[in-house]
Amino acid sequence: MSLIRPMAEEYASYLFDESRTMGSADWICFPQTEEEIVEAVRFANARNLPVTAQGALTGLAGGASPQGGLILNLSRMNRILGLRREGDSYYLRVQPGLVLQQLRKALLNKKFDLSGWSDSSIEALRPVKPGELFFSPDPTEPTASIGGMASCNACGARSFLYGCTREHIHALRAVLPDGRVTDLARGRERAQGREFRLPFTDGSGLSGQLPPFDSPHMKDAGYFFREDMDLVDLFLGSQGTLGILSELELKLIPAPRHLWGVTAFLPDDEAALAYVRALKSPRFPFRPASIEFFGKRALDMVERQKAETPSFRQLQPLPRDYCCAVYAEFNAGTRDPFYPSLQALGELLQSLGGNPQNSWVARDQLELEKLLFFRHSVPETIDILVEKNKKNAPEITILSTDMAVSDEKFDTLFHLYKRDLEQSRLDWILFGHIGENHVHPNILARNSEEYRRGHAIFEKWAADVRDLGGTITAEHGTGKIKKKLLLILLGEEKMRALWRFKRQFDPKGLFGPGNVLTEVGE
Amino acid sequence: MKFLVCVKQVPASNEARIDPVTGSLMREGIESILNPFDAYAVEEALRLREVAGGSICALSMGIPAAAEMLRGLLALGVDRAALLTDRAFAGADTLATARALRLGAEKLGGADLLLLGKMATDGDTAQVGPMLAQLMGIPHIADVSRVVSLSEREILVEKLTDDGYLRVACPLPALITVVKEINVPRLPSISGVLRAKDASIDLWSAQEIGADPGTIGLKGSATRVVRSWRPERAVSCALCSDARDLLEKAGMLGETAAEREEERHA
Repeated sequence: MSLIRPMAEEYASYLFDESRTMGSADWICFPQTEEEIVEAVRFANARNLPVTAQGALTGLAGGASPQGGLILNLSRMNRILGLRREGDSYYLRVQPGLVLQQLRKALLNKKFDLSGWSDSSIEALRPVKPGELFFSPDPTEPTASIGGMASCNACGARSFLYGCTREHIHALRAVLPDGRVTDLARGRERAQGREFRLPFTDGSGLSGQLPPFDSPHMKDAGYFFREDMDLVDLFLGSQGTLGILSELELKLIPAPRHLWGVTAFLPDDEAALAYVRALKSPRFPFRPASIEFFGKRALDMVERQKAETPSFRQLQPLPRDYCCAVYAEFNAGTRDPFYPSLQALGELLQSLGGNPQNSWVARDQLELEKLLFFRHSVPETIDILVEKNKKNAPEITILSTDMAVSDEKFDTLFHLYKRDLEQSRLDWILFGHIGENHVHPNILARNSEEYRRGHAIFEKWAADVRDLGGTITAEHGTGKIKKKLLLILLGEEKMRALWRFKRQFDPKGLFGPGNVLTEVGE
Repeated sequence: MKFLVCVKQVPASNEARIDPVTGSLMREGIESILNPFDAYAVEEALRLREVAGGSICALSMGIPAAAEMLRGLLALGVDRAALLTDRAFAGADTLATARALRLGAEKLGGADLLLLGKMATDGDTAQVGPMLAQLMGIPHIADVSRVVSLSEREILVEKLTDDGYLRVACPLPALITVVKEINVPRLPSISGVLRAKDASIDLWSAQEIGADPGTIGLKGSATRVVRSWRPERAVSCALCSDARDLLEKAGMLGETAAEREEERHA
């Protein structure tokens, strides 16, 4: 069967991602090697077809939803290619379509398909014990693809301790719109100030200039710009607009030996904010891996959904008189910090008017899975409800934001969210990665009018966040659904600079059509 | 009311290895956990105590490290825990186990209601609960999926059967074994874990519970494991890269959907 196939009804499920942004396409392909990506890209280039790269379609910003032209679906490029050891560090080479869950399973059980592995890779793997090595990025959705995570620099809960996907990618290969391939490794190819020269495997190169501004100096899911930056970082967060990732080398770290966590129920949101501040403080005995917030409306929403979703009945019943909850996870090399940290948490809760009895302690991985299941039930419920609301108005998508600000500005943002949402009389919930100053306000629009109003609130917040010096997307990416917000954040002049930057890689504007960038007049 | 839950520590992995010589389970190197079914028994005891009042004891038989599993139950709110631990208990079959548990239960002062998981995930026999009831001379109901009511004299339950549910009443004292439909086990609270941290757990030898050495452990077992083996996998699985490959491997290539439809109508 030929690599590039005309679009047909059987491929309808490749027209949208988890954000439910519907797209269209004329062609689709499922490359299995980098050569096949190059072939597909050349096919598109010769015909001036837009190219949308797809991983596992779990994105929340519509980045993988095609806008005509060719879908380049990488889900069949899902092999683990080899392992490299350098000093005490291990680096795993993978294809972009590999699903996070499969990677975790392979590392946990030390079960790899070794066909095609070099002798040195097999040698490097030999002394590794099952479960000893760990890839920390955890964007909640375990079926996300590594390439998708890299292209939006996915972060998720544990990045509070470990950092985002970007920090765990050591090297990569990418195919550019003209079919040339670049092979980059950290520390090897760097910009000189804001000038860069991107080398290609055929010996040629591309000289260009970075935009004249830095990307936000915080957790951010978009382009990364700094003086003297590593060129690897150009492609991480670029959401398929510069090149298509064909191979990634992941930095693995020693797996934590003891995982534990606590979901604590607090009497009100102010107590929750104070609890989070204390957990983040250097005075707290042990640094959490993640800190997550669940507002009352989020807890209520899952509780209601239990009646309709049988698997949710395995969730522990909520304590009486709950208001909101904060989940903190701890990853440690030993069991030592367990009791002292728990003691400190109990005292903290009590000092904030909470009751240490109203808490769920997970003492090991097995119990932690229950708390994570609870965490995951929130976005799962949102999915179910959006799907339901879509029946009223097909244009409805997930209305979720992942805006973030600095530590000092977070309380201001939190109160601003709450005030605007309470005044809106819309159906909304608030939950998410409070440890890194970005909770996810979600608006569950029930009809077109509410959907439009939800968007208007998001646009207001984009301006608020701009004034607070933050970012409009800390972890999901701009994709298609947050373009307007990005334009509000950046303004027209910086947007024009982004276009000039992109055209250096993609003069015809074929890659990632409709992603990130908005047309603005010169 | 006095509640007693009998619990067991089992290997966390279901990929337990079998010793090729003795045929017994090799537990070394595999993390041990509370038998998942027992968690439901503990939870049900906690819920019933909330309604009926009283106290809960937990009893187990196992290696000294199993005390930590019992500490976990104290964190949930169990009032007292005892572990039967002695080399003399080793190698016990279900009967020898039930005999030891009976003596342990007596030393704990007996109970109005005993609760156990329907079976352990390592042995899968589901025998210890009913045997224990028999030895104690009290009635039992297995596979309980719901406790309808509990009074001082009687318990009314629904039990799971192959054909549906059966509603059964039974005088106390009695023993029930529970299935996982019965509840959702809770996680402990911060206060619970801290309270259990330094709680004492009774460790009892065979002598301390007055066990006759001939009735417990391997010696007192009525059954012998003659041979254990891993069942052969009877089906093999081939991965297909796409629908065409699937049809090819199934020997159906060349036949279109329309043709099959025709055949069906022919």
